[in-house]
Amino acid sequence: MEHLTAETFDQNARAALADTQLRGALKNLAVTFGERRQAAIATVENWEDLRERARSIKDETLAHLDKYLTDFADNAEKAGAQIHWARDGREACAIVLELLKERDATKIVKSKSMATEEIHLNAALEKTGIDPVETDLGEWIIQLAGETPSHIVVPAIHKTKGQIADLFVEKVGIEKSDDVDVLTKTARRILRTRFAEAEVGISGVNFGVAETGTILILENEGNIRLTTSLPKTHIALMGIEKVVPRFTDLDVFLKLLPRSGTGQRLTTYQSLITGTKRNATDEGPAEVHIILMDNGRSRMLAHPTTRQSLACIRCGACLNACPVYQQIGGHAYGSVYPGPIGAVITPQLVGIGKTKQLPFASSLCGACREVCPVKIDIPELLLHLRAEIAEGVTETSTHKFSEKLAFGFYSFAWSRPEFYKLGTKISRLLQKFVAKDGKIGKTSGFLAKLAPPLGAWTAWRDAPTVAPKSFREIWKSDLENK
Amino acid sequence: MNNSEAKSAIFASIRQNLAASLPFDAAHHAHHAPKDSTFTTPVLPELSTENLIENFRKNLESVGGNFSIVYDESEAAEILLMMIGEKKARKIAVSDSPLVEKIVGFLKMDAEFIENASADRLFECDLGITGAQWAIAETGTLVLESESERHRLASLVPPVHVCILEAGQIRQTLGEILELVQQSLSRTITFITGASRTSDIELTLAIGVHGPGELIVILIDKTEEAEN
Amino acid sequence: MKISLFITCLVDQLCPQVGKATVEVLRRAGCEVVFDERQTCCGQPAFNTGYRTEARKFAKRFIEIFEESDADFIVSPSGSCTAMVKHFDELFAEDENWRSRAARIAAKTYEFSAFLVNVLKIEDTNASFSGKLTWHDACHGLRDLNVRDEPRKLLKNVRNAEFVELKNADVCCGFGGTFAVKYPEISVAILDNKIAEIEKSGADAVVACDASCLMQIGGRLSRLGSKAKPMHIAEILAAQE
Repeated sequence: MEHLTAETFDQNARAALADTQLRGALKNLAVTFGERRQAAIATVENWEDLRERARSIKDETLAHLDKYLTDFADNAEKAGAQIHWARDGREACAIVLELLKERDATKIVKSKSMATEEIHLNAALEKTGIDPVETDLGEWIIQLAGETPSHIVVPAIHKTKGQIADLFVEKVGIEKSDDVDVLTKTARRILRTRFAEAEVGISGVNFGVAETGTILILENEGNIRLTTSLPKTHIALMGIEKVVPRFTDLDVFLKLLPRSGTGQRLTTYQSLITGTKRNATDEGPAEVHIILMDNGRSRMLAHPTTRQSLACIRCGACLNACPVYQQIGGHAYGSVYPGPIGAVITPQLVGIGKTKQLPFASSLCGACREVCPVKIDIPELLLHLRAEIAEGVTETSTHKFSEKLAFGFYSFAWSRPEFYKLGTKISRLLQKFVAKDGKIGKTSGFLAKLAPPLGAWTAWRDAPTVAPKSFREIWKSDLENK
Repeated sequence: MNNSEAKSAIFASIRQNLAASLPFDAAHHAHHAPKDSTFTTPVLPELSTENLIENFRKNLESVGGNFSIVYDESEAAEILLMMIGEKKARKIAVSDSPLVEKIVGFLKMDAEFIENASADRLFECDLGITGAQWAIAETGTLVLESESERHRLASLVPPVHVCILEAGQIRQTLGEILELVQQSLSRTITFITGASRTSDIELTLAIGVHGPGELIVILIDKTEEAEN
Repeated sequence: MKISLFITCLVDQLCPQVGKATVEVLRRAGCEVVFDERQTCCGQPAFNTGYRTEARKFAKRFIEIFEESDADFIVSPSGSCTAMVKHFDELFAEDENWRSRAARIAAKTYEFSAFLVNVLKIEDTNASFSGKLTWHDACHGLRDLNVRDEPRKLLKNVRNAEFVELKNADVCCGFGGTFAVKYPEISVAILDNKIAEIEKSGADAVVACDASCLMQIGGRLSRLGSKAKPMHIAEILAAQE
């Protein structure tokens, strides 16, 4: 299947809007996760304090990221983990490949990790003939379907159980059933054989503790525990922003993340892994490798607004709360990270050139900021990126010339009362050609071409007309000296 | 792979970008500074063992866990025997916890108890028995430390996980437990809250996707005995 | 108490009756109301589309004009434009002087309904309106200014009116400034959820504190031929039906 790109966001979105099945699934998502989250946050008294605390821990970490990363790496190494550094996705993929080659390993199980999605690790492995097996149920489904995740937490939310049933019939040869339990048990049965033979397990990391070198991974299914327990070698890919200073800081994040993400008080499993096993006869992998990856993250430190992006704990709450995401889903964003957080992270990770539409794909309503457990001001970030695009701090030569001209004109004329008043008069004259009964109906053809925003507006909505007498005129005649 | 080169490049970039941010930090801080001073951990009343058990039970059951309370190891063995019978379990994976060993020692039955099972044999087990080092009442969570007990696979691979817990191991909050386990940090610590679950298909809850579909906690509360 | 009106360009040009109603309610509450005719736009369209240089020009002009006034407060019948004034200081991250001037202006600027309830301590404006009313929380009023209870208190005290709560009152209407014309299909898809709930509520008037949301909601209601009318809260509070 062809993957959508961010460059065609507008077309992707239109296609998504026409997909009634998708929109049904998204509605279910918004309602279900919205309600579960509300119920879960009601179980803690100091939710707002927790958010503040989490943010200040993240801010403190990011302001001294060099120190905390050093501590994390040193302590993990002391406990027997091997640390690798990757400047970008290419380097991270190369490190993984090298580790696999050295171990002559071809049987790989993977647990869900946005970081590995970000660097397209599976594609890199497949190029060398290695087929890693995704073991998270949702990730496995989309891997079988040859698709990409459409949500950070529930990657296959765009698919119905009927579609999944057909997929299983085709790919794993079961008899058709759209009983969710049967489908789940099928995944269990088949993936167990993969776990049994796996030589290397690859995971992501939710939090890395500087003080102890511990990595924490959260999940519900148990596939992460299997991935990190059964194979001889465990490779964990970790973004450099995942570090937190103290072990007890985990308390705050463990209260915030599950409640925000799935509306649980705690996910079913947490694995806290500090280096390798102490004795060769103990359970678990003989080797633990942690790849610390930058891939555009350190750049985000350069401004306090963009730096907030690195506080994200990937809970997905902003997706569920976003009216835009609720209408179009994740694939339309054409990037690994969809929704509001995706619209701010993607342009920073891959460059603004090909992702220019994303920061504009928001009504700036602020619902994302309201639910964000670490209080990322996503609207502020969107505006920051819009300014970079509009004002040409980055590659923006193709940014619409007509828009620039329009805003230049607007800023000239509307900051001068005499021009502003003249504008009102001209509008009154012009609207005579299009207005009827005090409103402007559907405008098409020549007029819509002449003024595209008017055409876009009136395709579905009537537009108001300029009043016969403006407020300032009424003020002068009726109000001022009353 | 020249790793030291990558490492120094990343650190240089971190420092350079943080420095570039300095002129903007103050203005941003004025708007967005977290009001950290307001943060207080709610002070909880000292809870009796009875309260802790009750809270733990309630929260464990709210995530679908099964809970029984007994007053000693032999009673625990009786319950265990009943459960093994009910599940018709023939092969049982056990951890190396002395408590589990002791209780399993009481059992007179022809099921096979396997300690330190290989991966292949684990996949054939019908049930896994472990102890736990701690439990968190506020979430109904079991906490298992690798250096106290060989728990990682026995608690995960078989379709049913039975955990034998002692009343004194329960604490009310996650925060208390993090402080406790940090004192001598095991290489792997596992938190378990309920049975393995997924909502990946249409957000419909399905139990037992990769881990156990059933979690059974048998709590030994010896104060019960004293009172009896 | 002296109030300097910040009327906003949408109200000035498209719905001047809202400005008139604002003046009436404030005068009825005993305020002296003045209007500086030099004011135009707060620059929000430029700011929200990324044109900060332009937005800065508007901000400076706004600050200069309102600094000259001896009014105690600046009051605006728009949550969105009030929020913009509160954002002015962010435009001057590296200019301490303008930043503090912006902050001083922002501190005395209020959204109309919040001003009535929180500053004037008025929850009943003696208004009377026959019909069923419902409220739409405009996003900037709600999330930037934290105005949630104030308009509801005011509306619940309107004589002859019945107040009904919308199920999705606090969800965006899909306007979002240039978003509404850059991505009209998404904008209208969001809007239609709002419209469906308005229709379900059976309201005669959907009330909000922002002309922009009312233009979006009203434009669709009008196109669909709904009986529900968009009304600004100032119009309701000034009404004597």
